[in-house]
Amino acid sequence: MTELKRRILVIEDEKEMLEAVRLRLEANSYEVISASDGAEGLSQARSEKPDLIVMDIMLPKMDGFTVCRMLKFDENYKNTPIIMLTARTQEMDVARGKEMGADAYLTKPFKSEELLAKIKELIK
Amino acid sequence: MDYRENENRLLIDDIKEKCLWGIRVRYLIVGLALPLIVFSLVNKNPPGIYLGLVLFVGGYNALAHVLHSIKMKLDLWQVVVFRSVFQVFDVAATTLLIYITGWLESPYWFLYLVLIILSGFGMFSYYSLSVFLIASVSALFYLGLLWSAYTGFLPVYGPSFTLSPEELLRSIFNKAIFTTVSFFLFAGTIYYFSKLLSQHREELYKKNEQLLGALEELKDIDLLKDEFISTASHELRTPLSIVRENVSLIEDGVVGEVDAKQKKLLSVSRENIDRLAGILDNLLDISKIESRSLELNCQPTDISSIAKRAIELMADKANYKKISIEERLPEPLIARADADQILRVFINLIDNAVKYTQREGKIGVEVEDAGARIKASVRDNGPGIAEANLPRVFGRFVRFDIETKGSGLGLSICKGIIEMHHGKIWVESKSGQGSKFTFAIPKGEAND
Repeated sequence: MTELKRRILVIEDEKEMLEAVRLRLEANSYEVISASDGAEGLSQARSEKPDLIVMDIMLPKMDGFTVCRMLKFDENYKNTPIIMLTARTQEMDVARGKEMGADAYLTKPFKSEELLAKIKELIK
Repeated sequence: MDYRENENRLLIDDIKEKCLWGIRVRYLIVGLALPLIVFSLVNKNPPGIYLGLVLFVGGYNALAHVLHSIKMKLDLWQVVVFRSVFQVFDVAATTLLIYITGWLESPYWFLYLVLIILSGFGMFSYYSLSVFLIASVSALFYLGLLWSAYTGFLPVYGPSFTLSPEELLRSIFNKAIFTTVSFFLFAGTIYYFSKLLSQHREELYKKNEQLLGALEELKDIDLLKDEFISTASHELRTPLSIVRENVSLIEDGVVGEVDAKQKKLLSVSRENIDRLAGILDNLLDISKIESRSLELNCQPTDISSIAKRAIELMADKANYKKISIEERLPEPLIARADADQILRVFINLIDNAVKYTQREGKIGVEVEDAGARIKASVRDNGPGIAEANLPRVFGRFVRFDIETKGSGLGLSICKGIIEMHHGKIWVESKSGQGSKFTFAIPKGEAND
């Protein structure tokens, strides 16, 4: 059973937010690994090879856009779907996120069913 | 200060413009005098001193013209000095004219008065003192003329030639006092008027400056407000999402059994968190719309299909109250518009209609072609809006019904979005007979 579990990397600097997302994802039988800043997230993404990444945009050390771009321009990781979570709603940010290769974009406070639906859609 | 400089610039341009007219008038005078000289030449009368006068006026006028057309950046006082110098030339020419056209009996001394008036025009604040300069110069030249005639330095022209020495002396004396007093009386009057004018101008200038200062301050405050709203709503989002997610985790039984009663309370909590998020969105949007920082992505868009989508999205809410939505959405009606924003307008209008219509009521959504515009309306058979309240419907934070949930921002956002599309939105309503909200946006170049 455990082999079938999909692994999701959550990069989020708000601890409580991270725990809530972890609980939700684990309840939906995903394996969750986490990082609390952009740099750690990037190295986790490279070493753990998750099936999908959920991340905030405003992160310490390296922002979400940069992490996203680093992964999407790397042959080895460019197929890993990325969902951006953010408190920012500016249209410009959405456009920039898409430009950097993010596959989906959710605005806080997001609905958990939306997040789950997006994850399901992006993990084949 | 910028504003002061700007004001001076305007004043300089004004004086320059008036000087140009002066130059034109002198050319005209020279032009008119030339045929007279030709005429006297034909009649074998040597024009002599007349020709000299015309050449003098033509000469300094040409100089004035050249100086005027050279692009020099002059200060206000420099422009005033230049102008005054040429006015002194005018006084000299006038004096010469008086001398050769009958001297004591010459009617031309009124030209001095004209010059004093002219020097008063276009001169404001302390520069209006130039009227006294011209009056003094006029008096000086005129008295000089009389003196030279009296001493025999210049030959006497005109009928005074026949006067006896006593009569001549008395005449010169009377004339000198009379004209000099006239000049200064005149200059005083003109000075008074120009002072009056310049005082108004100064007051206006001060008021203007105050207003501009107040405007800047208001702009700063407005910017601060927008920044505050934007930061506040961003900062509020993260804690709000943590609360929402945790409530929803408990509600869904992820962390343990929840009974029906508890579940009900949790779902009410979650719904209200969503409402709060909605209000935050609206606040952010209204501040973006008002600061004009919302960017529209206008494309040829089928308004009918947007209305359809909005109806689909609102179907659950309407069904819950057993409200039926009648639609009249004919063939594609294309206008240049931002689809997402127009969708929000429809959703807001339909949401309002659902809110205010009683159970099993009716809502009508209609889109129609109105020539150069596309017209869309949402009508309900709710309680309607009292006539006294109609003008305030689209205002911010306006809510007439305390019972109904809402931020009171929905309609002002609609108005903002429609106005950004260069359209209009309005409401027709009668108390007890429902309301009809209509908007019309231009088709633009959508049909090219």
